[in-house]
Formats: sequence, C-alpha cells, structure tokens
Amino acid sequence: MNDVMTNAMTMTQEMTNARIKRFSPVDRLYHLFLMLTFLIQSATGFSRLFFTTFWGKQLGNVFGGYDTSLTIHKWVGVFMMIGFVIHTIHLLTRVQWRNFPQSVFGPDSLVPNFNDARHLWQRLRWFFGLGSPPKFDRWTYWEKFDYWAVYWGLPLLAVTGLMLMYPLLTSHLLPGWSLNIALLLHRAEAVLATSYIFIIHFFIGHLRPTSFPMNEAMFAGSIPLEEALEERPDWVARLSQEGPLELVNSKPPALWYRVVYFVFGYAALACGVYLLINGIIHSGAVRLH
Amino acid sequence: MMLQVLISPNFAVAQEEVASALRRYKDREVSTGYYEEYEVLPGRQRSPNLVPSLRRGVLPLSRTAARVRIRTRLADSHQGIKFYSVLRCEYCHVEQTKDIHTVRANLTCRQCHGREPISGIQFAFSPMNPIRRHSYVCAKCHEGASVSFATYVVHEPAAGSLTAKNDFPILYYSYWFIFLLLAGTLAFFIPHTFLVGVRELIRKVKKPKKDGERHDIGDGDQEVKPADIIRGDEPDDRRQDEQDAKQEDIERSDARDERRDDERDDDDPRDDKRTD
Repeated sequence: MNDVMTNAMTMTQEMTNARIKRFSPVDRLYHLFLMLTFLIQSATGFSRLFFTTFWGKQLGNVFGGYDTSLTIHKWVGVFMMIGFVIHTIHLLTRVQWRNFPQSVFGPDSLVPNFNDARHLWQRLRWFFGLGSPPKFDRWTYWEKFDYWAVYWGLPLLAVTGLMLMYPLLTSHLLPGWSLNIALLLHRAEAVLATSYIFIIHFFIGHLRPTSFPMNEAMFAGSIPLEEALEERPDWVARLSQEGPLELVNSKPPALWYRVVYFVFGYAALACGVYLLINGIIHSGAVRLH
Repeated sequence: MMLQVLISPNFAVAQEEVASALRRYKDREVSTGYYEEYEVLPGRQRSPNLVPSLRRGVLPLSRTAARVRIRTRLADSHQGIKFYSVLRCEYCHVEQTKDIHTVRANLTCRQCHGREPISGIQFAFSPMNPIRRHSYVCAKCHEGASVSFATYVVHEPAAGSLTAKNDFPILYYSYWFIFLLLAGTLAFFIPHTFLVGVRELIRKVKKPKKDGERHDIGDGDQEVKPADIIRGDEPDDRRQDEQDAKQEDIERSDARDERRDDERDDDDPRDDKRTD
C-alpha cells in the first residue's frame, strides 16, 4: 500500500504544471472591479469620516476636498450598484434550473450547507492539534463567508447610501428620522466591511503561510494541482470522478501577467493597510453614529 | 398703565404660554377651515426628539422639579437661569455640540435656534415647533424640506445609550444590531485567522517526509486516494520529447525513492516507533 501511495505522491510532484481552473475570467473581472471600487469608496469615505482630523483632511485633499470626495463617493457607489445588479443577473443565469436544489446547494455553489459547519468544527479542532484538517471541497467556509458578507453588505450600503444621497425624496417615502438610522447603518457597515477586508481578507490572501506572498488564484484563475490536493482533496476527487482531470487543466499565467498582478495586488494591499492603520490611529475622533 | 403697556414686550410673541399647542391648532383649524393649507399638520410623523418628560428616569419629577426642568413649552426656555447673559450654550448643552450639523457643517447654535429669547421647541410660536420647523429652520439650507424631513433628529442621543432606548428605540436597536455584528465578526475571525496562520506556519516548518506520509497527527491528509489523481488512461497530447522526459523523470524518482526507503529502514528511529 505504501508503494501505491509513494507512486501517487511522486506523480503529483512531477505534475507541477498541472493546474485546476478555479475562477472564470468573468469572476476575476468582478473581483477586479470590486477591488478598485471598494478602495476608492473606502478612501473617499474615510476622508469624510475622519474629516475632523488632520489626516482625514489630507486624505480628502487627494480627492479634491470634502465636497468633491463625496461626489466621487456617490458616483463610484452608483457604479457598484450597477455592478451588483449585473452580478445578480449573471448569478441567476448560472443556476442550473433543471436540477434546481442540487445546483444551488451542491458543492460547486457558494450557498452554505451543513458541511461548512462540520468543516469549521474540524478546523477549530485542528488549530489545537486535536484532529486532522478538514478536506475542503471547492469552496471553504471562510470563502463563502467572504462572498456573502459582500453580497449582503453591498445592498445595505447601497440602500442607506441612496437614502442619504436623496434625503428629501427619502423623507417623502419614509419618516425623516430614518435618515438617522441610515447614517448609522451606512457608517457602521462600512467600518465592518473595511476592517474585515483590510485585516482578515488581506491576511488570508497574502500573509497566511500557504498564500504568502500572494494567493494568485483570483488573478491567475487557476491553482496548481498540488495546492488543491493539499487543501481541497474532496474537490480534486470529485473532479476526477466526474471526468478526466485534463479537462479542467489550464495554462499557468505568463510571467508579464504575474508581474502585473503582483504589482497591482501589492499596491491595493498598501492602500488598504494605509487606510486601516490610520483609521485605527484616529479612531478616537469618530463615533459609529 | 400706559407705561406698562409700552415697556412690556409683545404680548402674543413673547409672553403668552399655551398649555397645549395641539388645542390651539385645532381651535384655529375648526374656526377657519383651511388652516392646513398654511401650516402643515405634523400628524403622526412626530420627531422622536428628546423632550424631557415627567416619566424620565426611575422616579418621576416632582411638581417643583418639573417646573424647573421642563421648559419645552416656555416662550423663553432659559428664563430664571442665574447669570444667563454670561453663559455660553455649550457650558450646559455639551452633547448638543457633537452632532454632524455642528461638527461638519460648522453651524452655530443661533443659526437654527435664533436670537434671545430662545423659546422652547414646543412653544406655540417657536420656529422650532414641529408644525413649522421644516419651513422656518430646515428649509434655510435644505430647500424643500417637508414636515417628515424635519423629523430628522439633529441632536441625536448616543445610539447605544438608555436615553436612546427611551426616546429613539429604532436607533438604539439598529445600533446594537450592527455593533454586535461588527464586534462579533471581528471577534471570531481575527483569532480564527491568526490561528490559521500559526497552524500553517507549524505545518510549513515541519515539512512532510518525502514518502508523502504525514507523521504528526493533524498534519494533513493521510488518505490521498491514488485513484483520484493517477491519470494514466487518458490520451496524452504532449509532444513526444516531453513525454519521454517525463517518463525518464518518473523512473529516476522511483529509483531514488526506493533508495531512500532502504536508508530510512536503517537509521530512522522515529519511523520504527511509528510502525510499532
């Protein structure tokens, strides 16, 4: 039995250029779009949130001042809403309606299921050396959390943002004190989103040992088979049962492309960390409401 | 008597106190029939503003205390305060200087509350009275402000406080909902992510043995199914020379592994222990 295992591992070591497709070009485009808009929104939003501090004023000056940064914030917000609507329509077209429950609750879907709770429990045990790490399928529970956090956070920010953009219209439809609530929710949800992305998402994407210096999956679109076998053996097993692995092989990214996305990724990381650190430093000057 | 008439201030504006603004409003409406066209009825859209009430706190205010503390219906809400002329608003109204209108828009108190005497917000003729606040105060900057718009609470209470729970419960519950969500998410995911980092670092430092076995509990998947990844039966579309190179590599590494197996049988005590 040992021989077989040895053989298998040798095979995997040899197949270093075998890769599995993980994200389609459209998925990557959504992520890129979200990266750019999210960073602009956080920078312009922070410049207004921290306006009472010197740093906030300086940050606002980058975007042309207190008022202009609001204009940018509104426009980029509208683009994000359009992106959200397009993404939702795209999602609906991707659901295989013919085998409806399976396609939505199956392993290729980002909808959380019971396995995620099991994986979380296994992983918490693994942290303290009480068991083996869970064998993830295509999406891990924290990736699903990432996705749904954005997916529900975006409409909340959009609705409250629209309310604040058109206060008079809002006060026709709702009582005026709903603007108090809208401002509170917009601010607190933005703080939640930025702190989650700039601390946890960045750590998972860049700093955790298996990703360091950068998890390239979202830019390259594919990951090495080895990596998938290490963390997501159930996915590889499922793929090989469904058909030959060759079908999902994809080319490694070209060198120039890797250089581009490393530079871009690190620039985005630097922006986020800059905002995070300064936000923490000046957090005494702001309140959630 | 003439003198008294001359020096006393305007009767209607400054001195009259109305027990109920609502009663006065209804009287006027009934008598004219078209009052509503000129002044908009606040109706149900009342602002959850912080009007001190007798029921505030654990014990209700005494009659005397109420006369001193509750000044929302007075024509001059500061009447009787000692040395009033040398005080500044923010000496007493500390919390009211921290809201967006003051901090962001740099408004001063007087730009909304007007000159002395500053009447209570429920005084019948106060510009701040909810029946006309939108047009007399808000619309100075927010053109087209409606009654509903004027129910926006400018001096909002601290959202998590018990004051807010009393006066503006929706704000209070929204605050605690979003705050617990924020704190809970970070409180779970920050330690979680940190532990992931530590655990993966340990795994990376202690590399698995070359034979593919993990020797420590919790160091990865011990049951990789070879059937899942061997792909021998599929058509090979690589160039001929690539295939050859690959084949040689596999053979070479097989030989290498056999050699290593032999070595390990001799001198690796840990492995022996494990097979025991």
